[in-house]
Amino acid sequence: MNVPPPLSVVSGEGDPAFVADATVEVRDASVWFGQKVALSEMSCSFGPGITGLLGPNGAGKTTLMRSIAGLANLKQGTVRVLGQDPRRNRGVYSGLALVPEDEAVPPGLTARQLVRYVADLHGIADRSAVDGALTTVGLLDVGDRRVDGFSKGMRQRTKVAAALVTDPQVLVLDEPLNGADPVQRGRLIELFKRLGAQGRTVIVSSHVLNEVERLAERVIVVVHGRLAAAGSQRAIRDAMDDRPRRVLVRADDWRRLAAALVHHEWVTAVALDVDAVVVSTTRAGDLALAVPRLASELGVRLREVRPLDDSLDSLFRELVR
Amino acid sequence: MNAPTVTPGAVRRRTALVPIVRYTLRACVPPKRRLGMLVPCAGAVLFGLLALLIDDTRNVAFARIAADGIFGLIVPLAALVIGDAVLGAEIRAGTFHFTWMSPVRMWQVVVGRWIGGCLVAFVTLVPACALAAFVAGAPGAAGAAALGAAFASISYVAVFVAVGCIAKRAAVWSLAIVFLVERLLGLALTGIAQLSPTWESRAIFLAYAPDVPDTLVRDGIPQGGGAIVRLTIVTAVMLGLAIWRLPRLQLSGAAD
Repeated sequence: MNVPPPLSVVSGEGDPAFVADATVEVRDASVWFGQKVALSEMSCSFGPGITGLLGPNGAGKTTLMRSIAGLANLKQGTVRVLGQDPRRNRGVYSGLALVPEDEAVPPGLTARQLVRYVADLHGIADRSAVDGALTTVGLLDVGDRRVDGFSKGMRQRTKVAAALVTDPQVLVLDEPLNGADPVQRGRLIELFKRLGAQGRTVIVSSHVLNEVERLAERVIVVVHGRLAAAGSQRAIRDAMDDRPRRVLVRADDWRRLAAALVHHEWVTAVALDVDAVVVSTTRAGDLALAVPRLASELGVRLREVRPLDDSLDSLFRELVR
Repeated sequence: MNAPTVTPGAVRRRTALVPIVRYTLRACVPPKRRLGMLVPCAGAVLFGLLALLIDDTRNVAFARIAADGIFGLIVPLAALVIGDAVLGAEIRAGTFHFTWMSPVRMWQVVVGRWIGGCLVAFVTLVPACALAAFVAGAPGAAGAAALGAAFASISYVAVFVAVGCIAKRAAVWSLAIVFLVERLLGLALTGIAQLSPTWESRAIFLAYAPDVPDTLVRDGIPQGGGAIVRLTIVTAVMLGLAIWRLPRLQLSGAAD
């Protein structure tokens, strides 16, 4: 097995990977498939409210969520949900629901039939609960349409409805905003926030930093199957902001702008291109404020300001360096 | 969107068998699968027509064609399509978590899926086998053909449900069981034939069909009622295996 080296954890008071009132506890969890390590000695916990699970594609977020949901077998370590091992005690599913990332939905079923089925399995006799869940995700009017004919976003919302109908105390959402249009995305974010505010444990994964920022105050960052960082969103954002970054600035008089920028202590290098300047900085936030101000003062017209390495992958790489 | 309106602690039903069976019939047998099931059923009827070409009495001709063609090929294939559809295909598709992540007991999931599969077989395969006897001009053998097909379906669906719980490539393993284990090894080894739905369902058919030539009856394996008991035991063991295995499944999802 190629186990990556230990990673740094953004720490605040106590151990930021753990919460006091945990409903989900993961201890030294490891999962591997053949030679590939999907999760390595992961330890963290989740409590009421929304926790964002952040990491680049292939980081191990889905494996962690499936382990929490009891779908994946741990090779080492333990997972406890509401005090129970989900692999051993099926009763835990009375309070645990998962919305997987997969687009797959049962063929031939309408949205209402699928949600009804899940409700039936959970012994929910209240028939209005199904319509309630569909209303919650905005699918009541298309509830009698087959889910296999739905768009990706609608399928995802159907799965959210199927999860909500069980009234779960712990809700695990794997990339739930994938495929949703901006309006639905906003509504789903509001919905998840409300669920968190109701005291439910909501675990939301995403590889999009901004999504997690909008959703969760507490964030767990997973990279290479390991815990890379944990804590408040602000602490992690600060850690990421402090890393060196390169920003391309295109302007009509970019030479004057470059000359003005180079005097700042947080500018480590300035590289001149054919019609632009690439600024390396240790404080991207300061640069973002300075560029428009300087451009205004110098009378330079900005055409483009674009970070060259602002993908989440590069942020994560920097974070775990 | 509004906050969830579900009432916590709503009345909980004691058994989930009915919704699982209903779901199995609706979701596990989509239109494409139905077509896949109807093709072997049509094949059974075609074998009935083929019996008309055999120069013998109608009953003997049908017995010959049914023993090898229908019970040796059509019934296992149709049952494989049905048995794989009710569980293995869903696990591969990544939609089984809707069922798995519920407080329902595993035996209810397994038995519900098995009942669903058997019901599908009873309305497709069993009538097709009986119809084949009529088409072949041997209506007296229709009951035996239906009985053999019914017990073959019951046991085969259980076998394929168990395979779905054990192997990732359930359809491939199911084919291997039918053709390599049952057909090849079962032909040579009586011990395997005694546990084989193919051979035992054939034995049920031959025991109750009229005018069956002695050359078709295989020695060393239970016939008639004995074969029914044997298939019932095979079914129970396979369902037990599936119930034991299902909680140990690793559901990696369709993407994996």
